[in-house]
Amino acid sequence: MAELALSEVHGRRTGGRRLRPTLWWLVTPAILFFVLFFLIPIASLFAISFDKGAQGVITFQGNLTLDNFARIFTRSLYYEAVWRSVWLGATVSVLCLIIGYPLAFVIARTLRPGAALLLTILVLASMQLDMVIRLYGMMVLMGDNGLINTALMKVGLISAPLPLMYNSFGVIVGLVQVTLPFMILSLVGAIKSINPSLEEAARSLGSTRWHAMRTVTWPLSLPGVYAGTLLVFALAISSYVVPALMGGWKVVTLPIHIYQQIAEVGRWQFGAAIGVVLFGTSLLAMAVYILALRRQAGGRM
Amino acid sequence: MGDTSPIPLTFRLVSGVALVILLTPVLIVVLSGLNSGEYLTFPPQGLSLKWVAGFFTSPIFLPAFLFSFGLATVTTIISTILGTMAAIFLTRSRSRAREVLRGLFILPVVLPGVVLGLALYVFFAWTKLGLAGSFPGLLIGHVLVTMPFVIATVTASLVDFDLSVEDAARSLGATPLQAFTKVTLPIIQPGISAGTIFAFIVSFGQFELTLFLATPDMQPLPIAMYTSLRYAFEPTAAAAGIFAICLVTISTLVTSRLVNLKKLLRRR
Repeated sequence: MAELALSEVHGRRTGGRRLRPTLWWLVTPAILFFVLFFLIPIASLFAISFDKGAQGVITFQGNLTLDNFARIFTRSLYYEAVWRSVWLGATVSVLCLIIGYPLAFVIARTLRPGAALLLTILVLASMQLDMVIRLYGMMVLMGDNGLINTALMKVGLISAPLPLMYNSFGVIVGLVQVTLPFMILSLVGAIKSINPSLEEAARSLGSTRWHAMRTVTWPLSLPGVYAGTLLVFALAISSYVVPALMGGWKVVTLPIHIYQQIAEVGRWQFGAAIGVVLFGTSLLAMAVYILALRRQAGGRM
Repeated sequence: MGDTSPIPLTFRLVSGVALVILLTPVLIVVLSGLNSGEYLTFPPQGLSLKWVAGFFTSPIFLPAFLFSFGLATVTTIISTILGTMAAIFLTRSRSRAREVLRGLFILPVVLPGVVLGLALYVFFAWTKLGLAGSFPGLLIGHVLVTMPFVIATVTASLVDFDLSVEDAARSLGATPLQAFTKVTLPIIQPGISAGTIFAFIVSFGQFELTLFLATPDMQPLPIAMYTSLRYAFEPTAAAAGIFAICLVTISTLVTSRLVNLKKLLRRR
């Protein structure tokens, strides 16, 4: 520690840091922008969430109270939404991992570079395409009069439409569609960084393919698994448009409550409190992620 | 053969499922927009360009498309300038504040869009600067969520940049500005272009943040499509979607030419 401090002082003396002393002006506009339009607004949101509820009043009154938060955790309508959001987020993360891992593995390990590039472009393009446009496609496919139901009825497999949408199932399918690319891209990097020869060594020592996969590749890819799961979870619990369209207002999650409190009831303080709870949930997930990484890295981190 | 291939058969099959999940909705939007009937049926009724033509005369979707395009363009310009400057600082400064700033600049992506939109709305209402329900207000939100992407891509291209090239130009008498514009900028330009495209696409498809900041006179395409989707399937919306799909596909192809995608993936 002392050595480190010494070398820093030494570095400063030799002028290593002073070579480019004017660098700060480069980042100042971005910092100002972020402080003014990001940190202060977030602080305002926190402030208003502790303010006494007053319908239609958006200004800060200064009557600090915890009532808004107490309301979230005592009324079943709201705490069930917290639970529902977390449950949906966790389910979607696991499904994305199961569906996404193989494709990520293919992209990372295919011996044909053209195939890897094509698959990467497909994943990237589907990630970047406007969510609402993709949901339009999902709704045409999964609605009561949608392609799947009409096709199945025409063939005679079912007599009444299957409830594919406007329920939790529809929301889960929609969220998986929207978040899957993020899982895949998080995993590709992790799997690529594993030397394939490790797996080959395990197999040449008599391991079956699956055994090698489970004991070598999978544990080594865990950092990517954690990162992807966290990202998907955070995206899933904060999505408004997917539960709104695929759930048809029947699957009420935290973002839907926030919007309803603001746009329909005008309860700014309470809406802000739900927002703070949602933000807190994301941060909690991130804390779990960091803990998992630390544990995985053992003493190395 | 199957056993010597590096990829197990089960993985190939599940990969196929993943691709179907990713691409089917896109395919359906394209088919709906080119379908001759009001509703997409199975099998399709036939091809027609009438919804595409309808898009060009639509009082809702064409203005929304153009508004989104304009908003994304202005957002991209501001984001690229601020983000590139910040990325240069982040890769060259040795200041300890660097790590804190790196974290700060990535936060808007982590923060739920609905929460950020609400926070900005509350802030705009409090400060009474006329930003609430205004174009600059919407622009500020979009710059916040796109800048992280510019910073990430430009940082990735700057990490590999050999500073001695710039130092050589300086020692040969170039001013710092000349050294930057004549030497550094052309080398990192692909990274900046990629960041620009990312920013444009993120802004163009932004929904959750926009929800609180848009007004009935300022409707970006995702909001207009969402509003119409709540009531009915408008094939004109699907036709608008086709144009958005083309835009994204072209830009992704261009990005893949500009930057080594593999490199970008590895840095994630």
